[in-house]
Formats: sequence, structure tokens, C-alpha cells
Amino acid sequence: MVKETAKVTRRDDQYAQKISTKIWHEQPSEQNPYIAQQSRCHGYDLVELAKGCSYVEVLYLLFRSELPTKENAEIFEQLLILLINPGPRHPATRSAIVAGVGKTDPVHILPIALSTLGGDFQGAGEVEPAVRFLRKNVKKSPKEVAFQLIEESTKPTEGDWSIAPGVGSHYGGVDLMAKQFAQQMSSLSGCGKLLAWGNELTSELHGQQVGWLKTGVAAAVLADLGFLPFACAALYQLISAPGLLAHGLEYCKKPMTSYPFPEDKYYVIETD
Amino acid sequence: MSSKQIKQDQDTALWDKYREKTYSRRGGWIIGQGVFNCGYNMMNDLVGEVSYMQVLILNAIGRLPERRLADWVEAIYICLSWPDPRIWCNQIGALNGTMKTSVVSATVAGVLAADSRGYGSKPLIDGVTFIQNAVIDFNKGLSVEQIVSNACTKYGGKPSITGYARPLAKGDERIEAMEYVTKKLGFSIGSHRKLAYQIEAELQDKFSEDMNINGYVSAFLSDHDLSPMEIYQIFAIVVNSGVTACYMDAYDRPAGAFSPLQCDDIEYMGKAAREL
Repeated sequence: MVKETAKVTRRDDQYAQKISTKIWHEQPSEQNPYIAQQSRCHGYDLVELAKGCSYVEVLYLLFRSELPTKENAEIFEQLLILLINPGPRHPATRSAIVAGVGKTDPVHILPIALSTLGGDFQGAGEVEPAVRFLRKNVKKSPKEVAFQLIEESTKPTEGDWSIAPGVGSHYGGVDLMAKQFAQQMSSLSGCGKLLAWGNELTSELHGQQVGWLKTGVAAAVLADLGFLPFACAALYQLISAPGLLAHGLEYCKKPMTSYPFPEDKYYVIETD
Repeated sequence: MSSKQIKQDQDTALWDKYREKTYSRRGGWIIGQGVFNCGYNMMNDLVGEVSYMQVLILNAIGRLPERRLADWVEAIYICLSWPDPRIWCNQIGALNGTMKTSVVSATVAGVLAADSRGYGSKPLIDGVTFIQNAVIDFNKGLSVEQIVSNACTKYGGKPSITGYARPLAKGDERIEAMEYVTKKLGFSIGSHRKLAYQIEAELQDKFSEDMNINGYVSAFLSDHDLSPMEIYQIFAIVVNSGVTACYMDAYDRPAGAFSPLQCDDIEYMGKAAREL
């Protein structure tokens, strides 16, 4: 049987002829147009940035197109430190460790762990909705929003309660580290309105065994700094990357037996 | 302080249960007894008895499909991945090839790229949801014209219905190829595919737009009682072979030779040079 070829025609969509960017400008060498002799980040010479600015300032510049104020640089740097490592129990870190101990090529550890960290449950996937939640409600009374959340959100019979994106329970209680992070950054002069509003909201919710989640704190601080919602989610991954990588690399040289492989008696195959 | 000394007043029973043991509803390897998968003994019941695509679907949805449905999915897998590095996911494969990454890194990166709102496997969720809701509406008495009109209203009157129209081209040669497979395997037309063609006719009449392969797959598999998420799960790696092909093409050429750019090939639209 011979198949007829369906009629398919090209659309007149206009695609760009070139890649364009507002971020980076490479000046070609006179001898070779493929070789850059100078790179500028939002107009600043990269070598001059290296000589005159901190890493945190350049990181902010890269994403926000201007160097940060002293207050913004301070709160951004503290966020980078506070979220530098999700810790060895976190599923994303566990992915890094499993990759490391499994003798996965070390260059794969970070992509693997970051894919786990991209999840919607207390991962980067929760950050963008958290930004949108905070932005949507920041002009409302935290007390009224808290009341509404309690009224409209049903506490699950098992597992954590995500009462709002970035706000919920952590292993059934308040995430004390996230609470500390929020308190610390709220003490800085660069503290923005979303973080301040979120603090009031979580205070109102305290009796419900829910509070700030790390994703919520990150969302509030990054959005206060002016990062776009979708960028906040990806930045959450970037900020957490050092810790993930460190734990993965720690296991690269260890034998496979150094990571638990549960005995059969601790592995249960459930049947209907 | 050890955990036993902590004065605990919060309920952690769920996590305590899962901390103690690992549970699986799917199966596992019981050393000395065999490897089990959804009640099947993999070496005795599956190897040599069913196709790889049947097992792929079993792993994706927890149910073993009939052979001809798996053969149909295998055919659509061929349709949905081809070696053209201009396609977004494939280009990532080629860029990895020119960087001399591993083939695995390239292929999974391309697969991950296709987890996209714009193309690849994720739009199947919307495509299946649309046609399944459309059949419900149709059975309630809505006309095809009303179904299309309602869908277009969400997008300011534009025919932006997932499963219809496609980027770059009008028409879809893959539908005809799959119709051939569908008939060859002896599948009859179901209510979802029937309505999908009626919707296509309406769109052709009003907007000169056709059904695309997403619409066809969504309708066909909806006729086989699969949910939007199950279909998304089955198609998780659908672009992998085209990505691998594009990776290999670039890998086999000199390093850095895939689509090299001169400095001035990038259009800079940002701030003028400035001093600190």
C-alpha cells in the first residue's frame, strides 16, 4: 500500500535572523571575528567588574541590568548564603549524592540534582507561584488573607499542608530554618514589602502549624529585589547549586557500599 | 541530642512510616526470587513475550496494553522525533555534540528541553484535556461550532486550540501516516477521533487551520480510555532518538563546528559602554 503525501505548506512566520541580547556585548578581535577581545556586561567591561565589584554585585547586574544598591547587595548576598545548601536530607541533595556514589560522571551531578530541585513540592517549581501569591495579596490585610486561607484550604489528612505557595508545614510543623532566614533578612535595611507582608501573614497563621517555607522566603526576597517571577524560580536553583554539588562531589570518591541499599526486609512491594 | 531525647508534640507518623521502609506499588528485585513489575515476573512473563513499547507503557501507567496499541504508540514515536537540528530539542543535542558531551547527557538534555509548553510532550496534556472535555460537551448537546467558538473565545477569537494548527507549517503529514497505521492495525474510529475531525472541519472552514499530530494522538488515545497525565507519561522521552541523531551528526564533525557564531552575529541591544 502506497501512502499519499499530505499537503503541507510553510507558514510565513518571520523568525529572527540573529540572536539578540541586552546582557552581553563581545567586541571581536581585529584578527579573528570569532575571538572576543573584550566582553561587556550591561555596558561594563568584565575585567573592570572583576577588579571593582563583588561576585554578588555582578550576579545582580547580570540579571537586573544595573548594579545593586548597598542595601540590595547586602540582602541578596545574605540570601545566597542562607540558601547555599538545602542540606544532606533534601531530595535534591540525595540525588547529587546518589549520582556521586554511583560513579556518575561528575559533570552530570549538578544537572541531575537541579532537576530534582525543580519540583513543585518545596522546590523551585513552587517559587514562581509563591511570587505571584505574594504580589497578588500584598495590598490586602495579612490577617484577612490568613483567615481566608484557613477557611478555603483543606488540611490534608496526611502529609504537609501547603496553605499557600511558599507557606505551609514542613514535616508537619513550622520550618524553623525558613523562619530564621526570614527574621534575619527582615532585620536588614534592604528588606522589601513582600517579605514584610509575608512575615505578618505567617504570624497570623502560627497556630496552624504552618509558616514560611524556604521557597516562600526566596520568592519574597528575590521579588522584592525586582527579579521577575519565572526568574525567581530558576535563581532558586542557582542559589542552591553549591550545596548540592558539594555533597555530590563528597561521595564521588567513596565506594558504592558507603550509601545505604536497604535490605529486602526493608523493601515492601505492595499488592492490591 | 539524639532524636529519642527530643520532646515531640507534632505528628510525624507519615514520615516515620516511610523512613522505616521503602514501599513500592510497582515492584522490584527480590534477590533469589526474581524481578517483579506490576504483578508480572519480568523474566518469565515479559521478556520475549511482549514488546519493549508494551513494557514502556506498563512502566508509565501501571497497566500492560495490548500489543497493537503499543505498536501504534511505537509508530507515533517515529513520527514525533526526526533528525533535524533546527528543531529546538534536537539543536540542544547538536550543541552538546559540538561540545563533545556524552551521548547520554545530550539526549537527556534534549528530552528535558521538550518538556515545554510550546512543543514536545507537555502540550499533550492540554490537547487531551480539550478533546475529552469537547466530547463531554458534545454529548451534552453543544454543537461543533459552539465548541470551537467557546475555545476560541479564551484566546480573543483566535484558533489557539492545542491539537490544531502547528508552528512553521500548515497541514501535518504525520496524521496521514498514522491513519495508515491505525487502519493497518485494525482500530476503528471512536467518539474522540470522530469529533476531532469534525472540529478540524470547522477550523478549516473558519480559519483555514488543520488538526496537528497532537490533536490526532490526543483523540486516538482518548478513545482508549487514557487520561491526559497518562498520555503525557507515555510520551516522556518521545523526542529522544532525533536528539541522539543530531548529537551524533555534530559529534562526528570537528569540535565547535556546529553553527559557530562570530562576535557580530549576536545583535547587542543593551546599554552603551560605561565606566564603573
